[in-house]
Amino acid sequence: MLSSPQVVVAVVFLGWLCWPAGAQAPAPAAPAAPAASDYAGSEVCGTCHEDIYNAFQQNPHKLVDTQKRRGFEGKACESCHGPGGKHAGSADKKDILNPAHMPPGEAARDCLKCHLNQPTHIGRIQSSHAKNEVGCTACHAIHRNGPNGLVPRKMAAINEQCASCHTAVWAEFQRPYKHRLPESAMSCVDCHNPHGSILSVSRQTYAANEPGCFRCHGNLRGPFTFEHAPIRLEGCGACHEPHGSANPRMLIRAEVRYMCLECHANLPTGAPTGSALIKNPPALGGVPPAFHDLLSPQFQNCTVCHMKIHGSYVSQNLLK
Amino acid sequence: MRLLSALLLSIPLLAQAPPATPPAPATAAAPAVAATTPAAPITPSTEDWLTGSIDLGYRFASVGGSNDDYRSVVNLGSGPRVFGLDFTIIDPMKRLFDRLDVRAYNWGGDPYNTVHVHASKRGLYDFNFDYRDIAYFNFLPSYADPLLGSGIVLDEDSYNTRRRMSDFQLDLLPGSRIMPYLAYGRDSGQGTGITTFETGNNEYPVSDNMFDKTDNYRAGVHLEFNRWHVTLEQGGTTLREDQDAYLSGFNAGNNTAPYFGQQLDLTGLTQAYGISGNSIYSKGLFTASPFSWIDLYGQFLYSRPETNVSYNQLNYGSFVVLSSLLFYTGEQALEYAETKEPHTTGSFGFELRPWQRVRVIESLMTDRLHTAAAGLLTDLILSPSSVAQTTPLPLSSQLVMNYNQEQIDVQLDVTRKLMLRGGYRYVWGDAEAPAALIAGVGLESSELRQNVGLAGVTYRVTRKLSANLDFEAASTSHAYFRTSLYNYQKMRARARYQVTAKLALQASFSLLDNQNPSPGINYDFLSRQNSLSVSWIPGKRVSVLGEYTRSTLRSDINYLEPELLIPELSLYRDDAHTASALVDLALPRYSGLAPRLAFGGSLFISSGSRPTSYYQPLARLSIPLHKNLSWNSEYRFYGYGETFYQYEGFRTHILQTGIKLSR
Repeated sequence: MLSSPQVVVAVVFLGWLCWPAGAQAPAPAAPAAPAASDYAGSEVCGTCHEDIYNAFQQNPHKLVDTQKRRGFEGKACESCHGPGGKHAGSADKKDILNPAHMPPGEAARDCLKCHLNQPTHIGRIQSSHAKNEVGCTACHAIHRNGPNGLVPRKMAAINEQCASCHTAVWAEFQRPYKHRLPESAMSCVDCHNPHGSILSVSRQTYAANEPGCFRCHGNLRGPFTFEHAPIRLEGCGACHEPHGSANPRMLIRAEVRYMCLECHANLPTGAPTGSALIKNPPALGGVPPAFHDLLSPQFQNCTVCHMKIHGSYVSQNLLK
Repeated sequence: MRLLSALLLSIPLLAQAPPATPPAPATAAAPAVAATTPAAPITPSTEDWLTGSIDLGYRFASVGGSNDDYRSVVNLGSGPRVFGLDFTIIDPMKRLFDRLDVRAYNWGGDPYNTVHVHASKRGLYDFNFDYRDIAYFNFLPSYADPLLGSGIVLDEDSYNTRRRMSDFQLDLLPGSRIMPYLAYGRDSGQGTGITTFETGNNEYPVSDNMFDKTDNYRAGVHLEFNRWHVTLEQGGTTLREDQDAYLSGFNAGNNTAPYFGQQLDLTGLTQAYGISGNSIYSKGLFTASPFSWIDLYGQFLYSRPETNVSYNQLNYGSFVVLSSLLFYTGEQALEYAETKEPHTTGSFGFELRPWQRVRVIESLMTDRLHTAAAGLLTDLILSPSSVAQTTPLPLSSQLVMNYNQEQIDVQLDVTRKLMLRGGYRYVWGDAEAPAALIAGVGLESSELRQNVGLAGVTYRVTRKLSANLDFEAASTSHAYFRTSLYNYQKMRARARYQVTAKLALQASFSLLDNQNPSPGINYDFLSRQNSLSVSWIPGKRVSVLGEYTRSTLRSDINYLEPELLIPELSLYRDDAHTASALVDLALPRYSGLAPRLAFGGSLFISSGSRPTSYYQPLARLSIPLHKNLSWNSEYRFYGYGETFYQYEGFRTHILQTGIKLSR
């Protein structure tokens, strides 16, 4: 049984948990319905905020003004900023919500009032952006003009935006062997979904559940008659550093042989009698046969012979 | 030709008539006194029906050093170019579209051509088209040249290809509750290269042609309601890949030493792969928020790619079968094989908010893949000393992967400025893969068991200062590979400080320390990255951006030297400095026009296993000639050097100059 002081502490703690942290907004829910007189309407907002209002006419969020289903018909501004009737009278910024000045998590919850039940939210729950409270407005400029105006669409602009936080990643693209992002032939979102993904590090998927790498490297997708297991089990990153490397082919090692031998160094442990299955060896990947003389240049790059290293349709040893 | 086509394509778009009557000018409404009083309508801004720009000019490139390496890394050439073309058409009559955006970059011979078209009509459709044509050239003798010691400079695994990617997507009824969509994508590659043909104790560098294309068709529907959403998608892909290698003439191969007194060589080869494949795939996603305190989500993904291969090989020369010391002069191999790979993925999770300050996020994920292949290879050996030998060899192979992950995170808003995170992830799975090389048995099976603890904190001291820290540590009892993540600690920290309105600083630090102490492996991996960036805008005329990153990587792992199975240590080191900066200056104005000068660039210097330096300084000058016309010039230098492979260095000066016309 709990003693009285413990009960008091427990009650206080529960009360603290239930109490909002600061002026935290309530959890996302179906749009609340304050009194109609609390609202001013978008056109009233436009009388003072004319630039924003004009730009907003080409903005995707303009839809909120015209769609009944959102619950803010004619009140698009107030769908994010809250009822603005009082603010319209006082012109005091204290009388209106400004998501730009709210903690990112709270601002995101404001967006999720409408955007909760959408495909992008599937990955969002698990994405590191959401966990680290990177708010929607960190990437999306809500008032910007144009149908795509909420977020940069030009590849150079996308990369610039991502690099503004991920500086160390962008530094990797300054290495000689890299994907063509600095040349603006690709963008970060070609490979990563900033809203999150079922794959690690928010990697994009292709054809339902395959790694997004195969969107451009379709010839490496297979399935091959003889697969190279790491590609399926650990992905391209087992051998390649996709952001950039000083090593040719964006490899993670300077010399190919070491990259291969670091995995292919397991002596066979032997299969149980009558079985063709070795269970739980120290690691997958056997050791190459003895004729591989590493002192000979012929054997210093494994892919000279094992050129179908991503998988072969013909040879078990990935030779053809 | 493509440039001409693009320009011709754009003419009809440009020809769309401007509005006969421009929209009425904006009229200021009286300030609202009563919130419910409708104000006078404010009309949209009077935008031009057509806005855009075209940036064209000429590029001069002067390459010193290794041209092959320059093409492998940079690959920009000389000649006239359309550096950029973009325009937007807004149709106030809203006939075919409300708005059309077209962007095209780097046309006229550059290795990276892109086009993007977006057209939309509010509430009716949203159309996107994306096209990219990227040249891939790779010829680096340091990568694969066993004959370098003989003075032959050749990359035996080189290529000169182009990949073209087109994607179309049409979303119908955007913004409504039911939104169907259709999409088509094509990815194709074509080119030539050098590969090796391996047979009979030697391998021969030969020419090859490559071609592949993948078509992807998909269609689906989004159902969006206030409390739930479902997306259903059905798609399919088709694959065709043809590769052929050929040789006519004498080729001594990489192994020039006589074998039992006999010279091995290749005098003729035709080798052809005919690969076709297809896949169907299905996707189902859902989210729901039945109550204000819980969100649910889940997805089910299924694909079943399969391929059929027809392989044909005919080679003449002098070869040997090592196992039987049989010398032979010709070989013909024929193969047909079929492979299927059903792949199922599912996930389910929820976010629970039992109290205002607490969020609990739970997720489960499973990913299951099973590859099975079967075929028949018939190998005919032609030998002058014996009768022809035909060896039919049944082929079969399989790969199985079952991956599962369960994770729970708890997020606690301690105060409005401080959030703490904690969690736990358990990863488990099993795999069966073909036993490689010497193992001599059919399959190896392995397991994956990993426990990961998660922690993090986000602290927003003020609006100007915030910091974020994430940490995870794992303990692993089984992993698939020697180099897999095993017992590791991972940390990432980032802080941002807006010192003044003109000065902002950002710092980040990341670390990965992975260790596998298993006997015979002894893997010890440590990588660190520290970066600092500064944005300083002292006035309207000057802005300065600078970034510096220091990264170090150390990897030590045991391996077996194959010849004698002696344990050795593989060491890899990378100690790199990367810096980039850009200074943007507004030069003194003349005739109301403001020229701009920008200079900066980036440098990368590394030491360790492959010491490398790569410099990319640049300077840009933009001189307006008229309100809508400017003369732009850019100078860029690419300097690349490697301590161990000095013959691959290059120094390239690039000057491009041209005009930009905007409307």
